[in-house]
Amino acid sequence: MTTLASPSVAVGGARWVRSLRRNLPGYLFLLPWLLGFLGLTLVPALGSLYLSFTEFDLLRDPRWVGAANYVRIATDDPKFVASLYVTFVYVALSVPLKLALALAVAMLLNKGIAGLPLYRAVFYLPSLLGASVAIAVLWRQLFAGNGLVNQVVFLLFGVQGPSWISDPDYTLYTLVVLSVWQFGSPMIIFLAGLRQIPQDIYEAAQIDGASKVRQFFRITLPMLTPVIFFNAVVKTIDAFKAFTPAYIISEGTGGPIDSTLFYTLYLYQEAFAYFRMGYASALAWILLVIIAFFTAFSFLSSRYWVHYDD
Amino acid sequence: MTTKPNRSLPASFAVHGALLAASLVMLYPLLWMFASSFKPEEEIFTSASIWPTALNFDAYVRGWRGLDVSFGVFFWNSMVISVLSVIGNVISCSLAAFAFARLQFRGKNFWFALMLGTMMLPYHVTLIPQYVLFLNLDWVNTNLPLIVPKFLAADAFFIFLLVQFFRGIPRELDEAAMMDGCSPWRIYYKIILPLSLPALATASVFTFIWTWDDFFAPLIYLNDMGSYTVQLGLRNFVDSTGRSDWSGLFAMSSVALVPILVFFVLFQRLLIEGVATTGMKR
Repeated sequence: MTTLASPSVAVGGARWVRSLRRNLPGYLFLLPWLLGFLGLTLVPALGSLYLSFTEFDLLRDPRWVGAANYVRIATDDPKFVASLYVTFVYVALSVPLKLALALAVAMLLNKGIAGLPLYRAVFYLPSLLGASVAIAVLWRQLFAGNGLVNQVVFLLFGVQGPSWISDPDYTLYTLVVLSVWQFGSPMIIFLAGLRQIPQDIYEAAQIDGASKVRQFFRITLPMLTPVIFFNAVVKTIDAFKAFTPAYIISEGTGGPIDSTLFYTLYLYQEAFAYFRMGYASALAWILLVIIAFFTAFSFLSSRYWVHYDD
Repeated sequence: MTTKPNRSLPASFAVHGALLAASLVMLYPLLWMFASSFKPEEEIFTSASIWPTALNFDAYVRGWRGLDVSFGVFFWNSMVISVLSVIGNVISCSLAAFAFARLQFRGKNFWFALMLGTMMLPYHVTLIPQYVLFLNLDWVNTNLPLIVPKFLAADAFFIFLLVQFFRGIPRELDEAAMMDGCSPWRIYYKIILPLSLPALATASVFTFIWTWDDFFAPLIYLNDMGSYTVQLGLRNFVDSTGRSDWSGLFAMSSVALVPILVFFVLFQRLLIEGVATTGMKR
């Protein structure tokens, strides 16, 4: 290994040797990432852009079809429309509900109560387990016609609940509930954010006679906007990419009648069930555009509602 | 909201009541699943109780034996993939993070910006060409597509996390070491790495858990039952025998969660601080 560039080392070397001495260590340390970036990200991304203009089934070479995939997506693909709808509903319901619950619980926990570490751990645990197949399996059993949820509903109200996972009117909502149940990680971030708010602001507000509600809307919420913004962006992107629960609960079909056909599930089907790799690539690029659009929109709108201290 | 030393007893009662009730709702499904793994079949769907009437380990034996392949095989595969992923991630991400945080070289800012950009990119965009690549390398049905990317710092998120941590280590340390003629390599592994153990541990634990939980990549790359991970094995269990063997399914679901629970119990503080300070995803 070379030493870091220092005058004594560089003396006498030709310019390019000096430059090499100066820059080489950085690139050597970066080498694994550089290889990964080129081989696993940059080239594949360009490759999928190319494939999105082709018909490709893995067996034969890709056949150039121009914008045909995109045209079909835009004009003649009910499954695309269905999957987009399911995904949008999922994002629009699960993200705000999850964040609201996370904030509410974080505020309860921030009251200096005894047993905070224990509560925090209990609320965080489902988030940590959430991505696993076991939880999706559990969810399927919980919401089955004779599952725990309906047993409890029957005990409490004496009515027989619907079959949540096989009735297309309810399936998506069981997935929303699963997502909301995993409010732990945004809750922890909210908790950290609440800690940052200087207490004397509340004391001053109290002296001025501001009610709790007013304090919440005038102090807590504005001071938390950077954290709310962060959580909202991260959770929205995550929700767009949700896959495992829908796959497990619908056994990979996205059914009943496409009610759990998440966008990523549809993409997976096109690519790995029907081997329409070109079409799936086009779907992937549209997902990228949607996510980029939402992220850009969030950042642009943040100027109007996110308050930074300095 | 302020901490008030002389809050009234009823108020604090109400807060604890609400939190306890919420805790119960959070944990009940998990406890019910665990309890159901000990219950006889007919009791699972007639009783919401989390106390099984008798402790019955049959489901674990039956489930572990699995279908054609034992769950032991799935466990071993998952363990190999997860452990190697941790090693790969820690090595490659810390190397890159060291370059970004502590070294000067031409083009650094450019590469750093690209690295951050990859964090935004949904993996679906690179999915199909990557699949074609691994197919052509004859790596499909092996662990390699799941492990090799970790050695190439494919999880840019962890690079970012480590960069943030490395930047917090006083510069004077490297400068003094440099004066003494230390190479960047020695600074990396004699100074920076030992001082970064908390961050490396956080990255390791999260890598392990996320790899263990991963369903999508194994679903795509592993088609042969002998190469399945726990997640795939479990999926298969649901699809084929699940309908007739509920307790076996719950038993294996419980077992699949054990490694995560172990890490959770051991490193709870670390995990929670990791989320609080860096905004980890899950």
